[in-house]
Amino acid sequence: MKVKKVLASVLSVAMISSLVACGNAATETQTAGSEPQQAETKTEEAKAEETAAASDVTDTITIMVPPITGDYVDLLGGWISEFNKEYPNITIDVISTSWDDHTEKLTTMALAGEAPDIAEVSYAAIGSYVENGTAIDISKYIDPERLSDYDQNALDYMTLEGTLYGLPLYITIQALGGNREMLEAAGADVTKIQTSGWTYDQFLDVIKNGTTSDRFGFVFANAGATTQDFINIFGVSAGITSSFTQDLKYSYTSDNMLSLLEAVETMTSSGYMPNYAVEAGQRLVMLQTGQTMLTGKAMPLFENNIKRNIEKMQAKDPEAVEGTIEMEYVFLPVPTMDNATASVFGTVDGMIALRNNNTTDEHLQNVLKFMDFLCSGERAATVDNAVYLTGVCESARKAQESFELDQSDENAAAVAYAISKVVAPPTGISAEQSANAKTMMDETIVPKFQALLAGETTAKDVYDAICTEAYKLFGEENCASGWIK
Amino acid sequence: MATGLYSQHLHNRSIFYIRNSLIAVFLIAFAAVSLFPIVYMFAWSFGPAIESASTSYNIFPGRWSLDSYKAFISFSNYSLKWIWNSIIVATFTVLGNVIFAGMAGYAFSKIKFRGRSFLFFVILLSMMIPYQVTQVPLYILIVKNFHMTNTYPALILPGMCTAYNIFMAKQFFQGIPTALIESAKIEGCSQLMIFNKIILPLSKTILSVMAINTFLNSWNTFFWPFLVTSKEEMYTIQVGLKTFKFANGSLLSPMMAGACISVIPMFVLFFSLQKYFLEGVTVGAVKG
Amino acid sequence: MKKQEIQKKNLSKPRYHMADNISGWGFIGVAVAVFVIFTLYPVISAVITSFQEYKPFGSEFVGFENYITALGNDLFWKSIKNTLVYTVVVIPLSLILSFSIAIMIVPFTKSVQSVFKGIYYLPGIASGVAISVVWLWLYDASPNGIFNRVLALFGATSQNWLSSSKTAMLSLIIMALLSSHGANIIIYIAALHGIDNTYYEAAEMDGAKFFQKIRYIVLPMCRPTTLFLLVTGVIGSFQVFMNAYMMTGGGPDNNTTMIGLLIFNNAFTYGKYGLACAQAILLAIVIAALTTLQFKLMGEDIEY
Repeated sequence: MKVKKVLASVLSVAMISSLVACGNAATETQTAGSEPQQAETKTEEAKAEETAAASDVTDTITIMVPPITGDYVDLLGGWISEFNKEYPNITIDVISTSWDDHTEKLTTMALAGEAPDIAEVSYAAIGSYVENGTAIDISKYIDPERLSDYDQNALDYMTLEGTLYGLPLYITIQALGGNREMLEAAGADVTKIQTSGWTYDQFLDVIKNGTTSDRFGFVFANAGATTQDFINIFGVSAGITSSFTQDLKYSYTSDNMLSLLEAVETMTSSGYMPNYAVEAGQRLVMLQTGQTMLTGKAMPLFENNIKRNIEKMQAKDPEAVEGTIEMEYVFLPVPTMDNATASVFGTVDGMIALRNNNTTDEHLQNVLKFMDFLCSGERAATVDNAVYLTGVCESARKAQESFELDQSDENAAAVAYAISKVVAPPTGISAEQSANAKTMMDETIVPKFQALLAGETTAKDVYDAICTEAYKLFGEENCASGWIK
Repeated sequence: MATGLYSQHLHNRSIFYIRNSLIAVFLIAFAAVSLFPIVYMFAWSFGPAIESASTSYNIFPGRWSLDSYKAFISFSNYSLKWIWNSIIVATFTVLGNVIFAGMAGYAFSKIKFRGRSFLFFVILLSMMIPYQVTQVPLYILIVKNFHMTNTYPALILPGMCTAYNIFMAKQFFQGIPTALIESAKIEGCSQLMIFNKIILPLSKTILSVMAINTFLNSWNTFFWPFLVTSKEEMYTIQVGLKTFKFANGSLLSPMMAGACISVIPMFVLFFSLQKYFLEGVTVGAVKG
Repeated sequence: MKKQEIQKKNLSKPRYHMADNISGWGFIGVAVAVFVIFTLYPVISAVITSFQEYKPFGSEFVGFENYITALGNDLFWKSIKNTLVYTVVVIPLSLILSFSIAIMIVPFTKSVQSVFKGIYYLPGIASGVAISVVWLWLYDASPNGIFNRVLALFGATSQNWLSSSKTAMLSLIIMALLSSHGANIIIYIAALHGIDNTYYEAAEMDGAKFFQKIRYIVLPMCRPTTLFLLVTGVIGSFQVFMNAYMMTGGGPDNNTTMIGLLIFNNAFTYGKYGLACAQAILLAIVIAALTTLQFKLMGEDIEY
């Protein structure tokens, strides 16, 4: 009883003191919060008065980013001071978010008309901001010379209906990763595959030979929402590099899709893959412990994770994954199915400019200055190095030269080959098409695909269901039929 | 007290003990099942402070250490401030609800005023619209119109008097006999006096239940604080915990450690209010 | 207040008194102000948006188009069905469970009661983020997954928990039943303590046994509580989306797609905020109908 009384009194003291403290703190922060607001309105007035003398006018830019690399927000602080040396009148406010909820916060702010000036997005999400009218055509505000620094292929990802909405920051390629020794024992010519690809039949042979009583030939993380990775990565395997074909027809209704689905049906019933869903985190553990020969989705940077883990194991560090084996990690392109062109799945993340109540032409020019600063040179190189990939603009690649990646030559060659095989989506896709494609993916393709992976339906039924829904959404004439190249 | 529900088996105490033991065994067994995820969480909070894609399938980590607790505290300069922010927000939310929802619940159940039925109907109806669509206008209101980003009021005001609590208070006050209130009126009490002198003493239980549940909800709310804070120093603990998740893996054990630390204030509150949970309505007071 | 007035009031039916009006509105004043600003205004705004193609800079009025789109969508109906199944299983079971546990906790001494309440309350306390990570481990579909190892102990075969149409919904239901009863138990115990012993004493004199006491005293006396838990439980359950969002992504074959998930996706991933609002209003109509039904069935007059 006594203990309880003490607890109660401690708590009530805490409550009272917090009351007092909060009262003060709240008012303080409130006043503090409203000051910049006033400052902003002042700037606006000032701006209206002296539109000519742009460089003297102060401006505030807000940028919203998730932790692109673990320490991105800290790095950003350094870059901002560097930027301010050249542009002392531009203040940068950073809003940092978490990966899972970045989109939801950004959309809420955009819908409220209070979007940040710059936001990090995946290229696939641009459509919804174009739809609601907050995305901005940036080509008018950026120096054309600066624009030529960026690779056209990467810029195409940031383009919808011929309009450029942002700058690319980095490209990720997603394919397969494996254990060299096991792969070679299963008859794969690893070095050749890394630099010139392989066929689907070869792939099936290898995972068949690689399967033993205590190990799978191939494990793909496909539980829950990660199912979409499987569709994306093996989609390119069947020649579907984007939701839309070059003549802007919806591509998941093509014969390519049917043969992809049939291939998946064969793979899952073969016994070379687990017949249950695998969580995203598990695939790497299974590779590290030798429970699988090949895994997906895999990225080049896994090489680093695996090396560090083996070092720990050798040092008898208890933090090493239990049962770790020594291995050499190899990054591999996806196999190519008959009649399809070899390609690799790539996705681009970049920065887009968004409209809010402070948006003026002049402000946008400042916004683009900062956006370009972040997406080029050493800033972009830092991100590229963190994901073990080469940059998508000339200045970033130059900055990368001085940096030594802990990557094997073979894997570096495989990455170079893979990047050369990435096909950007056609640039004429409309915002509505892009949004509808997302709806199709989330509401029809992924759920049906999950049923296929669970062995509850057939490839033909899934294909028919996809066609029915797609015809309703896009109209049959806007959907691809037959085999697309 | 509700002891009268059970026979006390005064003639045969052994039946009494056997019965209570059986119930206890069942309660413990079921508790063990529903506590399992918590035990798992607690155990792994002592795991290694490394970024991992996943953890092993063991229920307990291979080596126990306080590294993750240290990592949680040193992860950000504000780790402990997050807990403090949560305490402030939750405390004020609780006070607001207990006072204002309590009073409103009383009025809805015991005072016959014009517009009462309609108003209660509207309040109930408003609960039925999912938050996903109301958060955009609410955001406009708080951020655009009131300029409250990164302030405590932004975190506290929207939840200060919830429809849920008004409804709960109303349902409980309905159980208090109207005769009690009528006789107080006859003796010349105003409604405020009735509420203070008669209703409040009778409703310690329900108000403490409301307090603990509101505190819990406020403590676990993630999305709204995430929306209206952009400075790390103003994060609540739930927003902070989310920053332990990265694109290709998470600091799982430190995240679990943070979750375990964040349970402590809840537990303190829970056990300090225990007294009121058990007191119930004093015998005789309600007879009216 | 004068005595005559009170007598008059007792005789007449719904008549309002000036004093009651003043004190009534005084009591609810702050609550109503907070409600109107922070709840009613956003709700009305959402209703208006449901008739628009919403754009932050220049929305267009489109009449009932969003509603027609929503009603013509098969997935909308499927998600309503899924949500209904989930609700119909979870809410009654969870109420029965909470009620039974509350009944089982009360015969013990105060300190034992505290311990049990603390234990049962714990699952609700722990943070949503960390706990959902734990549940994903528990439901891991490989033979090494925790639940699969438990099944193996009993000689049963491994299940593909969250990824099979047969078990996905069941998995979400088990999760809800095991993690959401803490608050309900506490509320029921509060209600049980509110029942005066004299009722039981009187019943015992009439020779009532345990289950008769439950049937004729406890259940009727707890009715306002049950109604409250039922109504709020159904409302909450119809809006649930985190479980599908975090655990299954709606699959397989849309068997766990909840209406809340659809609304979320439309508003935040497809940029169709107007449609999301229309779906939300339709959902509210369904919930309102069910709530009215519950008030009727529980025998409480709907004077509201």
